[in-house]
Amino acid sequence: MLIKNGRVHDGLGTVSVRDIRIGDGLIQTIGEDLSAAADEEVFDAAGMEILPGFVHALSSWGVNGSTTEIRPSSEDNSEKSNPITPELDAFYAFNGRAATAQQLGAFGLTSCGVAPADTNLFGGRIAAFTVDGVNPYKMCLKRDIGMMASVGGQLKRVYGERSMAPQTRMWIFTNFALQLKLAQDYKSPEELEKQAAEKAAAAGTPAPAAPPAKRDEKMEALREVVDGRLPLFVYCDDLAAIERVREIVSVYPKLRLVLVGGYGLTGEEDWLIRENIPLVVRQASCPLDKEEMALDMAAIAKLAEKGAQVILGGSHSAVFAPREDMLWSGAEMMRQLHDSEKVLSMLTSAPAKLLGIDGVTGSLREGLRADLVIWSADPMETYQAHIVRTYMGGEIIYREGDAMRCM
Amino acid sequence: MYVIKNGTLYTMDDAGVIQADLRVENGKITEIGAGLSTEGADVIDAAGKCVVPGFVDAHSHIGGLDDARHEDLNEITNPLTPELDARYGINPASEAFACAIRQGITTSCLAPGSANVVCGWVMAYKSAGKDRVLKSPAAMKAAMGINPKGCYSGKNMAPMTRMAIANIMRGYLRNVREYMEKKEKAGDDKDKLPPYDLGLEHGIPVLKKEIPLKVHSYMHDMMTLLEIAREFDIYVTVDHAQGASDFYEELQDPHVKGVIFGPSAAPLFPGEGGKLDPWCCKGLDDRGVPVAVMTDGPVSPVNMLLYEMGEAVRWGMDPVRALAMVTSNAARIVGVWDRVGSLAVGKDADIAIWDKLPSLAADAVLERVMIDGETVWEKNA
Repeated sequence: MLIKNGRVHDGLGTVSVRDIRIGDGLIQTIGEDLSAAADEEVFDAAGMEILPGFVHALSSWGVNGSTTEIRPSSEDNSEKSNPITPELDAFYAFNGRAATAQQLGAFGLTSCGVAPADTNLFGGRIAAFTVDGVNPYKMCLKRDIGMMASVGGQLKRVYGERSMAPQTRMWIFTNFALQLKLAQDYKSPEELEKQAAEKAAAAGTPAPAAPPAKRDEKMEALREVVDGRLPLFVYCDDLAAIERVREIVSVYPKLRLVLVGGYGLTGEEDWLIRENIPLVVRQASCPLDKEEMALDMAAIAKLAEKGAQVILGGSHSAVFAPREDMLWSGAEMMRQLHDSEKVLSMLTSAPAKLLGIDGVTGSLREGLRADLVIWSADPMETYQAHIVRTYMGGEIIYREGDAMRCM
Repeated sequence: MYVIKNGTLYTMDDAGVIQADLRVENGKITEIGAGLSTEGADVIDAAGKCVVPGFVDAHSHIGGLDDARHEDLNEITNPLTPELDARYGINPASEAFACAIRQGITTSCLAPGSANVVCGWVMAYKSAGKDRVLKSPAAMKAAMGINPKGCYSGKNMAPMTRMAIANIMRGYLRNVREYMEKKEKAGDDKDKLPPYDLGLEHGIPVLKKEIPLKVHSYMHDMMTLLEIAREFDIYVTVDHAQGASDFYEELQDPHVKGVIFGPSAAPLFPGEGGKLDPWCCKGLDDRGVPVAVMTDGPVSPVNMLLYEMGEAVRWGMDPVRALAMVTSNAARIVGVWDRVGSLAVGKDADIAIWDKLPSLAADAVLERVMIDGETVWEKNA
């Protein structure tokens, strides 16, 4: 399959008119004047814009729950029985058909991160998927991407209103700090056994019987965070929360922090850049939460211009996340930066890098998955841009004129 | 007095799109034309800019639902509350109005929430200024479907079904009609007047077709609504209207004062959210059905008007027709066209200056907003 003459936006800042050859689900070649093989299908994209499929960094696509199940229930990524559930994994919340039913290809998305909701202090692991398919194992692009945490007001609402902790920020931050400290000190049964054996060997005595150590799944998961093996994504709903989180994690040199939300940032937080902390900005998709009105895109844009890693698309807990979220987040940032390639990178290569899937998707490079969208015009610039074709893994998942799905 | 010079004026009125100057005096637009004299006037240079009417958000709740402690537009104790009035639920000092101004919104049609079948009176309200009530009542709010059903099912009260919703709505209108007839028959004879009933009083302007019934309705609920509108010969506005593209023929009905579509800020979900069709804006407009869009603020953010226009354009609507959905069409549907919704001599000077056309350019930046001629917001000011 050969796509000829399109303006190729690689998602990394470069635009040029190129031909793209797709084979085996991958981008085989990007070049000039590629000639079609005898039996090769050719699509002439002259005058069209070819963009990487959007990567929705922290979403809840494919997650069933209150609005989609036959019985009243929690969203499958929101385990509201205990605010501390780092042992859980959002992989198990993902229903391929539920994601496919949303027809995300018609909105330019080809992959998404699926995270535990921001309703738990420590919610669990993040995974990434494609957006069209059935089997989560076949759709999964990566697991164990990071640990989702939240110190936002949602916790107080979800638990406090049931007369459970937390009802206050005191509890939230105390336990955020305490759990990390306990995890740092935690030793697994295997480590304890090994320690005892080493001690015995040093003393020249026989190894003692295995101690009756209990495995703590929560601590094991958070140990990975403290040791820097699992980045910690923390949703914060104002600047004070961001500052407390930064202060608390600063004692763990290996811990890799990712900030989610961006509310209350002023643009002067240069430490984000110095400390190389990615920032996932959330579209205000739950504006009934008053704190979310405090997102200052001008401040975020200022940080981006100074070199902060800004990722757009973090509406992970919102049941009502629109399918156009990436386009609208892009427009919000375009009104600040007026730099379409820079903004495009925040919707494609930057989220792919954040999720650790940049070697697989998120930009248009040879060898990557053929996750690309042919637009009639540049959607970063004009609302008149509509999708002509969306390819996911080299397959067309949406074509202009396709019937739009209903439920 | 000042003159906005050399802008591209999207008048949204008979004059169309013109390169011209615009004079503002005493809060009103007093002159539009090329090369207006600036003698004795301040000048606002709008060369290369788009001068558009301030947006009219045709369905919103800002100032009345700011957060859990200021939930003042949903009285979920009785499914019939026509006696209530959104005017009393709005906090004029709410910061939501400043947010609205920063999106170019100068008027919002503020309605009670949709918990009740008949919810109360609606007000058209400016985002700033000295005399902010533009029209009250502007409509009677009503709701069908999951909101009233969902709000009362748990209380062991009707309505638990769409059947009961149709019945309650019809019953109310019937009572208003009887009450109105009794009053008319009584004339000046106070002894023959029916006992005073504020809820029924509030319904009289609906029956007299002075204001529309403003109805939260999705999908097949629209058809029930049309039946009721014809039966009582009233005007209705079809609000939210997701699924309207299934009913193009039916919605071309003289009882439909307009369709107010949105907000689109949702994924597909079963039931009322089962069809999301922003392309219906073009479909309705092409067929002559007046169509506007809404933020439903703060249920979705006040920047939603831009995206509602933008998505309609993505689905093929002309950008100036899309602009009408938040200016001229919206003002006509809300019933405030005599005052706002276009740039024309005699109208309120509610004006926004953008660097690019906001219904077309995804990176259009708002530079200045005037309400009643006063600059209420300026970029970088």
